[in-house]
Amino acid sequence: MDVLIALVGLRFRLEARAIAGSRGRKLGLLLALPALALFSALSALAAFALVQIVSRSEPGLLLPVLSAVATLFGLSWALSPLLAGVAATETHDLTRLLSYPVPLRTLVVSSLASNLLQPTVLAQLPPLLALGLALGGPRFSLALVGLGLGLLLVLAAGQATGIALHALSRTRRTHDRLVFVGIALGLLLSLLPILMLSRGGSEARRLLVTLLERDVFLVSPFAWGARAAVHAGRGEPLEFLGFSAAVTLALIATLGVSTLVAQRLYRGELDTGEAAARGAARWSLRLPGAVGAIVEKELRVSWRDPRLKAVSLSGVIGPLLLLFLLGQGRAAGIGPAQLFAVASMAGLGVIGSNALALERQGLGLLLGFPVDRLAILVGKNLALLVLRGPVLVSLALAALVLAGPVVALAVACLVLLTQILASGADNYLSILFPIPVPAAGRDPNAPISGTRGLGAAVMGLVAMIGALAMSAPFALLAWLPHLLAEPWLWALTLPLALAGASAVYFMAASGAARLLERREQDLLARLRGEE
Amino acid sequence: MEASASGPASDAHAIVVEGLTRVFRRQTAVDHVSFHVARGRFFGFLGPNGAGKSTTIRMLTGLLRPSAGDAIIEGARLSGDPIALKRRIGVLTEELPLYERLTGEEHLLFAARMHGLPTLEARRRTQELLEFLSLADEGGKLVVDYSQGMRKKLALACALVHRPSVLFLDEPLNGIDPISGRVVTDLLRRLTARGVTLFFTSHVLDVVERLCDEVAVIDHGRIVAQGTLAEIRAQRSLGGEASLEDVFLRLVAADVRREDLSWTS
Repeated sequence: MDVLIALVGLRFRLEARAIAGSRGRKLGLLLALPALALFSALSALAAFALVQIVSRSEPGLLLPVLSAVATLFGLSWALSPLLAGVAATETHDLTRLLSYPVPLRTLVVSSLASNLLQPTVLAQLPPLLALGLALGGPRFSLALVGLGLGLLLVLAAGQATGIALHALSRTRRTHDRLVFVGIALGLLLSLLPILMLSRGGSEARRLLVTLLERDVFLVSPFAWGARAAVHAGRGEPLEFLGFSAAVTLALIATLGVSTLVAQRLYRGELDTGEAAARGAARWSLRLPGAVGAIVEKELRVSWRDPRLKAVSLSGVIGPLLLLFLLGQGRAAGIGPAQLFAVASMAGLGVIGSNALALERQGLGLLLGFPVDRLAILVGKNLALLVLRGPVLVSLALAALVLAGPVVALAVACLVLLTQILASGADNYLSILFPIPVPAAGRDPNAPISGTRGLGAAVMGLVAMIGALAMSAPFALLAWLPHLLAEPWLWALTLPLALAGASAVYFMAASGAARLLERREQDLLARLRGEE
Repeated sequence: MEASASGPASDAHAIVVEGLTRVFRRQTAVDHVSFHVARGRFFGFLGPNGAGKSTTIRMLTGLLRPSAGDAIIEGARLSGDPIALKRRIGVLTEELPLYERLTGEEHLLFAARMHGLPTLEARRRTQELLEFLSLADEGGKLVVDYSQGMRKKLALACALVHRPSVLFLDEPLNGIDPISGRVVTDLLRRLTARGVTLFFTSHVLDVVERLCDEVAVIDHGRIVAQGTLAEIRAQRSLGGEASLEDVFLRLVAADVRREDLSWTS
């Protein structure tokens, strides 16, 4: 127990000193605390109101509803280390304490106890008290015991996830995969409210009602604490004791899992992917020449960098969401005209992708190679088109479902030709407005915002208008058969449109390559912040 | 071999630098630097921190535009065709710009392909270099997980993979373990014996003294001495026993008389 108290005390002292010693942290805490307090008060009010409303209107649904809410809360807390990015698992880091002769279970319990005084945990107390008051009435303290045990289980589950993620993320490949899963999960969760409010959302609501009526959340351990509190309030001692015992056992089991995970991962007893990385498949060198090498390099680097991968894939969401929203507002659904408009917009989305900026420090290396600058730009643009491939495929699939195969082909062609021309225009933006390399000591891959200035914003607009103007004749060729109601014409116009767009692209890219040749040394100096 | 750091330029010179100057925001980093390096020489370029060594290397390798002056590297003019220049040289810069999410093996293969090597040859050289620099076991690891020494070795391998005729190496031995350091220095010696010219900067003066045929010392952007160590000793009237460190400290007028910090006594 002495060791446990010492460990918890040490952690509190370290955290207090870290806050006291950093103006940024102090300011962050000062800004976060009022918001957290407000959120906590509102949550308390909502929890109290929810119990009152459900108890009066549908008393039979109180247990299922509370179980569902508790399960949702528990799941989101347990997944929070993943959603917040793997860096947020630092609070569960046990590595610095592993060298001491202290049992792992003590370390795990001390870490859990230390986290109890985190502001985000303290913010859960007002809703907990409000729920206790609403559910327990005269048996408030018993209800609070059930709810407290439930909260401890949620915290322990978050800790187990955090320990596992922190240990697993010591291998870079696993770390990158976890960060990507977190980003993707966050993106999907942020889309859920839109889907729930849409026409299709009624199905989801019906499903939820069915789940509540069948009380399926009874099996969720996160719900057992809340159920114990409800039974306490109703004066049902056997049920209260049963659920309290169950949630206590679940808590002990979770702590055991944390200890086991920590033991196996930190001591290297579990393969976290390093061996697989050593025996990774060799680069197959499938694509020929310098252009092929650049395309392969770009694809590998982008696919392995979780942020770049997320940016590439999230490009799919925008056009699909736009189609979805267009479909919501139209009784007749989506026709070819809407599909063509969205296809053109999706293609223009390439503007601002700034192919050279992703290189940052690597640009010195790339421009150090004796390779024609046109090959560098073409390689980078081709890789970008491949990375934007999911946009093309998803829009073509949407068109296939909504308007048939011929329109789908025209939509795919339209996306591709606008992407080609937009990437040709964006090369100029990339060369004229490079994003500076972060100063020495800063993370070279950290996102930098606002450093390209107003000039870049104006040039971005000019590039977009330019790409729109360049693509207009070819887009017209893709639209023409639809406007003339002569689908057979597409066999002629689509190849013509693509060939024309490719020719214009090569003219634009050749000009950009000449510009790069003239400016590459200045570009490198600007990236280093020397000019 | 010809000691040519201060002699007239000729076809025997791999590097000819004429009045190279670079000004950053009114501050002159390199000030009318001129020297020649004969083909197959191990040339040490020395100077204190901020003297202009790395800026000179960046200009000579076509990565930074000179404010004035020019240079000829293996017959290719800096102000002429930059691609032709880059075909002839290998560069190891101080910053080690590497693609962190490629594996070491992929990175080396990429460099080989960008230099136009055929696939089979690129793979053969990659394997050989990885084994030579004791990186073969780590070839499948991402560069982001490499230690500083491993990064240095990989960047050196990238500079060597296309068999350049002039090598610019900025602090190549920094952070490398002694065994790899010996392997690298032995390799560099063999390369110069085969006619490769080495332009080398280091702060480890006994290594420079041991390896370099001739040196140039730059301070505040200007060349303050150049030639063989014996020539510099003679120019500065230093005895034959004076080490390169003594010569260097004398040349850059370093104040080493301070024996202690005032507040520690």
